[in-house]
Amino acid sequence: METLSYPGVQETLYREMLPNGLEVVVLPKPGFSKTYATFSTRYGSIDNRFAVGDQAPISVPDGIAHFLEHKMFEEPTGDIFATFASQGASANAYTSFDRTVYLFSATEQIEANLETLIDFVQNPYFTDENVEKEKGIIEQEINMYRDNADWRVYFGLIDALYHKHPIHIDIAGTAESIGKITKETLYSCYETFYHPSNMFLFVVGGVQPDEVMELVRNNQAKKSYERQGPITRYFDPEPASVKTPRKKAVLPVSLPKCMIGFKESRQPLEQGALLRSELTTKLMLDSLLGSSSPIYNALYDDNVISDSFGHEYNSSEDYAFSVLGGETKDPDELLRRLREAIENTKVVGLTKEAFERTKRKKIGGYLRMLNSPEAIAGEFTRYRFRGADLFRLLPVYESITLEEANARMREHFNWEQMAVSIVAKDVD
Amino acid sequence: MSKSRFERGQIDRIRLHVLPTQRFKTFSISLYAGLPLTEETVTPVALIPFVLRRGTASTPETIAFRERLDDLYGAGFGFDVYKRGDAQIVQFRMDVINDRFVSSEQPLLSSSLKLLGEVLTDPASENGHLRSKYVDAEKDTLRKRLESIINDKIRYAGERCLEEMCKDEPYRLHPLGRLDDIDGITPQSLTEAYHKWLADASFDLYVVGDTTLEEVKTLVTEAFKMKGGTPSSYALPSANKNVKEVRTIIEKMDVSQGKLNMGLRINTSYADDDYPAALMYNGILGGYPHSKLFLNVREKASLAYYASARLDGHKGICTIQSGIEIANYDRATEIIKQQLESMRSGSYSDLEMNQTKAMIANHLRELQDSANEMIAFDFNTVLSGRERTAEQLMEQVQSVTAEQIAAVARKTELDTIYFLRDGKEV
Repeated sequence: METLSYPGVQETLYREMLPNGLEVVVLPKPGFSKTYATFSTRYGSIDNRFAVGDQAPISVPDGIAHFLEHKMFEEPTGDIFATFASQGASANAYTSFDRTVYLFSATEQIEANLETLIDFVQNPYFTDENVEKEKGIIEQEINMYRDNADWRVYFGLIDALYHKHPIHIDIAGTAESIGKITKETLYSCYETFYHPSNMFLFVVGGVQPDEVMELVRNNQAKKSYERQGPITRYFDPEPASVKTPRKKAVLPVSLPKCMIGFKESRQPLEQGALLRSELTTKLMLDSLLGSSSPIYNALYDDNVISDSFGHEYNSSEDYAFSVLGGETKDPDELLRRLREAIENTKVVGLTKEAFERTKRKKIGGYLRMLNSPEAIAGEFTRYRFRGADLFRLLPVYESITLEEANARMREHFNWEQMAVSIVAKDVD
Repeated sequence: MSKSRFERGQIDRIRLHVLPTQRFKTFSISLYAGLPLTEETVTPVALIPFVLRRGTASTPETIAFRERLDDLYGAGFGFDVYKRGDAQIVQFRMDVINDRFVSSEQPLLSSSLKLLGEVLTDPASENGHLRSKYVDAEKDTLRKRLESIINDKIRYAGERCLEEMCKDEPYRLHPLGRLDDIDGITPQSLTEAYHKWLADASFDLYVVGDTTLEEVKTLVTEAFKMKGGTPSSYALPSANKNVKEVRTIIEKMDVSQGKLNMGLRINTSYADDDYPAALMYNGILGGYPHSKLFLNVREKASLAYYASARLDGHKGICTIQSGIEIANYDRATEIIKQQLESMRSGSYSDLEMNQTKAMIANHLRELQDSANEMIAFDFNTVLSGRERTAEQLMEQVQSVTAEQIAAVARKTELDTIYFLRDGKEV
């Protein structure tokens, strides 16, 4: 077990790589009542074509990672929620583009809950009958999202940005695609992606690191896994252009929702550069468009945006895009004003004052996030899967310069690679 | 659990609740201002915090005001307006990091309280009233918020169900007020409403972090310009109400999925001795993934992705919500009614009892790890006038018997069924 100290944020991590390839990290939080644990696999909605070692690639139906997540909760003995409830733990799971995360939070019986978490995720139980039954439930989940305007405008934008990359596929799939899922396809995805060497266990809370490690070590020693070759994911080449410059959906909403996305088409970056680029872009966006920026306030004063206006940035090795927007009475006016303001700022640059202030704000936000075990677990895993370390962000933030942010701004806002997604109540 | 004792004090009209602790990297501050919900006051009171967040007398420009927050290492600053029982509560929240992590020129707790004091008691004004520009802009924002309720169909259906169910009580009112009343508000009328609100509301200020009651007292005395008087308390009306007949409301809208909601009168509130039994009732019925609704509507019948129950302990209302295929309305209603019936007949297994007790206990212990949740829990005491620590509530829940839950179930009455379905509005 290795010990990693981070005096800047007053945290200490304990880490171990088990013989079967499972990585375990424990963050003790003295004084906390709760323990929060996540067991994650590098497997999400984008992993729809893959191969293990030198085997032939296989393609699987859209939405299968999410379907698998649902089905993991069923054990031959019944629903695993009941076991967690008897042990006073609340359990849950979620599937994103590139990972599936199983979790519990509890204040007692931590050892029993930890064993339950590891064991249920490592014990798939799929039958023809239980797979069919789940389809009705997931169809209702898909229908629920169809009625959700925020979700529709956001995923509508990603679909407008990408031609080929599977990030544009709905995480839950469609009624049609999940109709094709069988217990055999589930098992083949499971065998590939739930191998311990593709997984990561993170435990945070009022725990003793050596006790947790001992428990996990013994638990894994009882199970046998064959070595697995590396997983290769196949993505078709993605053109630089956006797929649909303007996309619209009709739903009963009070005001149009409008999101604007900029797609980047750069060469893949190495991990350190990718992290720095992500943080720089986020700083730049907040300095440019955050609620204390002149652009935000002018648009708000002129009633072009509401206080729902926001921005975000997503990046990984093979995709990167920003999302700006919110409610607006006039999407075209919003687009025109944003373009004008961003082009002006590209010429004069962000000011030193605004940039330094945003940096402070980001550092404060980062430290505040470290109060929350849930946020730490989620963010630590997200960065870990990209080879980065959540607890080393502070020095990166501190070292980003105004010149870098300005360069990033000029590079990022390429109007040729922009798409707009709108949800409104009228066709036009 | 004894680590969660708030120290109490008061400065003029503000009750102070301070929890000194080094567990967090932050100071968490919450200011609650509450008044009874009434048709006349609900809209102006809802608008007040929107206007107050725009600027203060010393920093009247919004950009400068927000820069002040950014300079406090991005202090979190926000507000919320909601109802608890028949009270309308305005809550301002601040979150600022502890100075020991950064090299700040200004002490962050005192700067934050100073800013909050200005927001509440010394807003940006002109000619003796709140700034017209901000009043006008925030009227628009409030209007948009009210109009946008329809965007989230799950929330919309939940709020419509309560509105129909409580059509003869103040609780029917939305905490953000009434659309039709916004136009008539002027900077002058809002300023009057603001002064009256400052004079009449009950104020509670919470601080959790590495500080002391004495320090907070000194800082609040300097920061808040509301001198004299003593704190006023909440007087929530009785939560008991008899149901004459079950009402069914069906509304049509362009939706893919039907939203089925039910409202129940549990005739028990937070202050009552049988509140722990009501918590158990809600938990066994639909609070968790092991509960009757989840198991029977979702897992057994595959009718829904979500099916749950939620308790408003101050109002004595339990609500049920589920998203279903529209054609399955009769079947889903039938299954939910069967669950209510099985609650009444007292058929809960030891397993259901133990699971639900364990989940409630876990939730109450977990509160201790979040400053904001500890604050929210403690505020129940202020609202209801009933002293009950998380530890005491946990003990009371542990000792609830099946018979006590059945007693709650027997006095619980289904009041309203609300269904949002597809089709054009009629």
